[in-house]
Amino acid sequence: MRHLTLASVLMVTTGLAAPVLADGHLKIVDEPLTLTVQMNHARYPVYDENWPVERVARELTGISLKDATVGANTRNSENDGKTEALNLMLATGDIPDIVGSSRLKDFVNQFGPEGAFLPLNDLIDEHAPNLKAYFAERPEIEAAISAADGNMYYIPYLPDGKYGRAYWIRTDWLDALGLDVPQTVDEYEAALRAFKTQDPNGNGLADEVPYFARQWPELIRLVTLWDGRSSGSDTYHDFYVDDGKLKHPYAGEGYREGIKNLARWYKEGLIDAEIFTRGSSSRDYLLSENLGGSTHDWFASTSGYNRLSADIDGFEFKAMAPPASISGKRVEEHRRIPIKPDGWAIGHTNEHPVETIKYFDFWFTEEGRRLANFGVEGQQYNMVDGKAIFTEEFLNNSKPVNNQLYEVGSQLQARGYFQDYNYEIQWSNEFALEGIALYDEGDYLIDQFLGVAFNADEQKVYDKNWPSIRDFMLERQQGWILGNGDVEADWDGYMATLDNMGLNDVLDVMQSAYDRQYGG
Amino acid sequence: MTVENVDKPVETSSFAQPTRVQRIVDHLKREWQIYAMLIPLVIWLLLFLYKPMYGLQIAFKDYSIFRGITASPWIGFEHFHTLFGSEQFVRALRNTFIISFYTLVFGFPMPILLALMFNEVLNQWFRKSTQTIVYLPHFISSVIIAGIVITAFSPSAGIVNTVLGWFGADPIYFLTKPEWFRPIFIGTGIWQEAGFQSIVYLAAIAGVSPTLYESAVVDGASRWQMMWKITIPSILPTILIMLIIRIGNLLEVSFEMIILLYQPATYETADVVNTFIYRQGLQSGQYDFAAAAGLFNAVIAFILVMGANSISKRYSRTSLW
Amino acid sequence: MANMNLYSRGDRMFVWLNMFLIGVFALSTLYPFIYIAAISLSTGFEARAGNVVLTPVELTFAAYKYILVEPAFWRSYLNTFIYTIGGTLMSLAFIIPGAYALSRPQLYGRRFWNLMVAFTMWFNAGLIPFFLNFRDLGLLDSYFGIIIGFAVNGFNVILMRNFFEGIPQSFEEAARMDGANDFQVLWKVYVPLAKPAIATVALFCIVSRWNGFFWAMVLLQDQDKVPLQVFLRHTIAKLSDDQEFSDTLFTQAYSAETVTAAIIVCSIIPVLLVYPFLQKYFNKGILLGGVKE
Repeated sequence: MRHLTLASVLMVTTGLAAPVLADGHLKIVDEPLTLTVQMNHARYPVYDENWPVERVARELTGISLKDATVGANTRNSENDGKTEALNLMLATGDIPDIVGSSRLKDFVNQFGPEGAFLPLNDLIDEHAPNLKAYFAERPEIEAAISAADGNMYYIPYLPDGKYGRAYWIRTDWLDALGLDVPQTVDEYEAALRAFKTQDPNGNGLADEVPYFARQWPELIRLVTLWDGRSSGSDTYHDFYVDDGKLKHPYAGEGYREGIKNLARWYKEGLIDAEIFTRGSSSRDYLLSENLGGSTHDWFASTSGYNRLSADIDGFEFKAMAPPASISGKRVEEHRRIPIKPDGWAIGHTNEHPVETIKYFDFWFTEEGRRLANFGVEGQQYNMVDGKAIFTEEFLNNSKPVNNQLYEVGSQLQARGYFQDYNYEIQWSNEFALEGIALYDEGDYLIDQFLGVAFNADEQKVYDKNWPSIRDFMLERQQGWILGNGDVEADWDGYMATLDNMGLNDVLDVMQSAYDRQYGG
Repeated sequence: MTVENVDKPVETSSFAQPTRVQRIVDHLKREWQIYAMLIPLVIWLLLFLYKPMYGLQIAFKDYSIFRGITASPWIGFEHFHTLFGSEQFVRALRNTFIISFYTLVFGFPMPILLALMFNEVLNQWFRKSTQTIVYLPHFISSVIIAGIVITAFSPSAGIVNTVLGWFGADPIYFLTKPEWFRPIFIGTGIWQEAGFQSIVYLAAIAGVSPTLYESAVVDGASRWQMMWKITIPSILPTILIMLIIRIGNLLEVSFEMIILLYQPATYETADVVNTFIYRQGLQSGQYDFAAAAGLFNAVIAFILVMGANSISKRYSRTSLW
Repeated sequence: MANMNLYSRGDRMFVWLNMFLIGVFALSTLYPFIYIAAISLSTGFEARAGNVVLTPVELTFAAYKYILVEPAFWRSYLNTFIYTIGGTLMSLAFIIPGAYALSRPQLYGRRFWNLMVAFTMWFNAGLIPFFLNFRDLGLLDSYFGIIIGFAVNGFNVILMRNFFEGIPQSFEEAARMDGANDFQVLWKVYVPLAKPAIATVALFCIVSRWNGFFWAMVLLQDQDKVPLQVFLRHTIAKLSDDQEFSDTLFTQAYSAETVTAAIIVCSIIPVLLVYPFLQKYFNKGILLGGVKE
């Protein structure tokens, strides 16, 4: 096998920017080798060997995969985290050579140490130069995906691009009212109040809804304007790291200040009165009815609403930089998480671990990464000036781009690969690109908490205490906003209750896991 | 009918032994057809439901799917301790009973009432079409029903607040008010299921012998009297069986609907055992914990059913077993 | 049976009031269906924005076009019929004789057998053991497995048994005199008399099969074998995903919401058609034709 490794190392260095040629430089095996695979996702319930991307991969590497997915039809229990298929697969006792899935991380980090999956550290070290280089460059990624025993058990899907959500505001309303884009929390409040009281939609009614959100925790996000935090990651209500110390956002002074003010905003009608129940329809309804003023939502999906200008005269909904907080900090708390819990792992009965890790490594080569991101050259994209550019035909198809990519076997998150943001930029609309450029100018993003892997004892403490604490926090949070109790008056009692419920025990185990994992 | 009718095995003595065997053989010779009819059912139950029940032991184990049920270590009542150790669980248990109790008090009679009302409708066309309509909501998923409920109770555009507004009331944000959650949830459940549940009673009423009514008509009884003197007593066994089963389901609250309608602001009155367990992180596949909770539910349910059943047996002849 | 002139004035008022109350209730229960139908005929954007209340907004058949050209829709529709018809017949084949046996006073250990049925209403094995049992029986991913594996339900058995118990012994005596055995008594006496009960149990089986999806999702591997409800879930997931990623809400006339509504409408129609057929057994007077005392 050694000469093969050498060959691939050589090819990585010389193969940069080279077109894909069937010259065999990416061949992993001389004799065709077949590995079984579990692959389950809402969009591609089983592995399909006819995906054009897979045909190319097969040709280049000599390795073919064969579907062995269990529980294929359980795919879309989104709310339940989509691990049912994995559980069923494990229960049968037959673990395929490769297991790819969304929500894989907790699963492999629990069962990997028990022996169900192979640890990948040594395999990567010895046989996967591209992966090795990738992890060397980003040590926090290796730390973040490792299990409590210190081993890596899966190769993740690594999203590219930094920006997720942003502040959006009806700039045409601002213009109509003679206001500038708000730059501070006070100006933001003034703008929202003006939306409420000065009838920017001009129908003679004070029916404007100044701030709204599809997910009500996006209301809590606003506590960052008072130097509070709402979450440390792209999961709501998550812990965050402050100077190496694990903390929970809902037990901080800034949060208290923020909630106090948000309760005031809510009472004054600056926030959608129905924010807790309106749900996903709020953006569609409030924008299309010319009622909604501002929100905090994704670049990609929110920018599209500017199409409403066809129906609403002058409609313009643009991203704005995060207003400066009371202490003058501009913070955008949300960003795309750099590592997903999705990806693939090697089952313990796999007889070809070396070939398998090389196969995983293939997807981190220049050619492999392009395949995983853009599809097949000459079909979905062409190389223009050394860049993969989707064909006109592909982009102007009536089908959504992601949909088309799934169909050819690319952008599969049940595969460990490194996303290339260029794939998305090519079909982002001008408003999204403009907003992203705006966010690129300022440096608003903050570091993410990438999660910890507990050992069994830590897990017990966490499981026993945390769900109840979280429930209690959320109950009080909504209560305060709705005017059921006053955060200032209740705060000491609230903190005492958190203490009684064991918040410090939870923080302790988080801290010990964090220190172990990130070498704090 | 009760078991008292069954031939009890006689007290055995060494002397009586051959007689007993003889009796059984005679019994089987005479009644083998009944057993032939029973056996497929029993085999099915054993094969599909009882055989996998060994899996219930994971309630007392630290179950790992990878190691399998047998190889997973015993941990005694730890899952139960975790369950009861939380204040939220106790609250959820209380909420479950309260919601179930009201559902029983208000929801159980509704389908009976509806069936009796249908029975009084003489226009066949009207009767058939309304029957077909009232059972429709049963076929519409909770997500959609919940959406309709949320809209109906919304403070800005909801029909409920609009009507209240006619009387000069200020709009109420019902779904964030703990005191309103239960009436809304229970009312929705009754409205959605009453039509479908009335089918059992309609069938029971259809089974009442018409001669009873015919002689009552000759005696000059009114519709009202016939309903009380004939219809209700005739369907009483069905009502009792349904009641016993309903009591056994006291811990079962429509989980899907609660998830869709509740909020942290209403956890206080809305959080039930199932939703509590769901939030405990069941999504990550803690089957052992779920099994412990399920077992707890089943045991409570079974105790309740046994109680209800023996009361029913004492005062009527209806019994679940 | 009775005719109007037998009614007193009080009775007539009672009848009218009763009809009025039923009418009001029926109207309220009809609403969700009208709402769904209206959603299915509206554009995706309007449906998602919550602008549909009673009638379609910007009438379009896009949602129906989307599903009706989808072979997987028809395939799953057919599958639902297979599971429903096959499953219901299978259920009745187990339940009717079983419940009859359980209702016989002379059955030895009757209390035990009844308890054995009732017990399953509350105690069940859980997902993984159930799944493994299915695998061990070789029934994974098969039509037959789904049909037989869910044939019996304790509630239905007890319901049926209860109806059988309510039939007076006198009805079977004549048949017994003619030397009928238990099979004949069941078939010739009890089954005709228990038509309302059989119709009820059959309806319950039909409905649970028609609406069921969870086990089909877990136990079926092949996408060509799934019932409509599973197809519905897959479709929702796919379309919601698309909506998150791009402007489909603006570029397409359908959306996850309208397609869901269209599938629900398609799935309710057969139920609406089958109900009146079973309903005649719930209406009084039928029994008269079956048995004359």
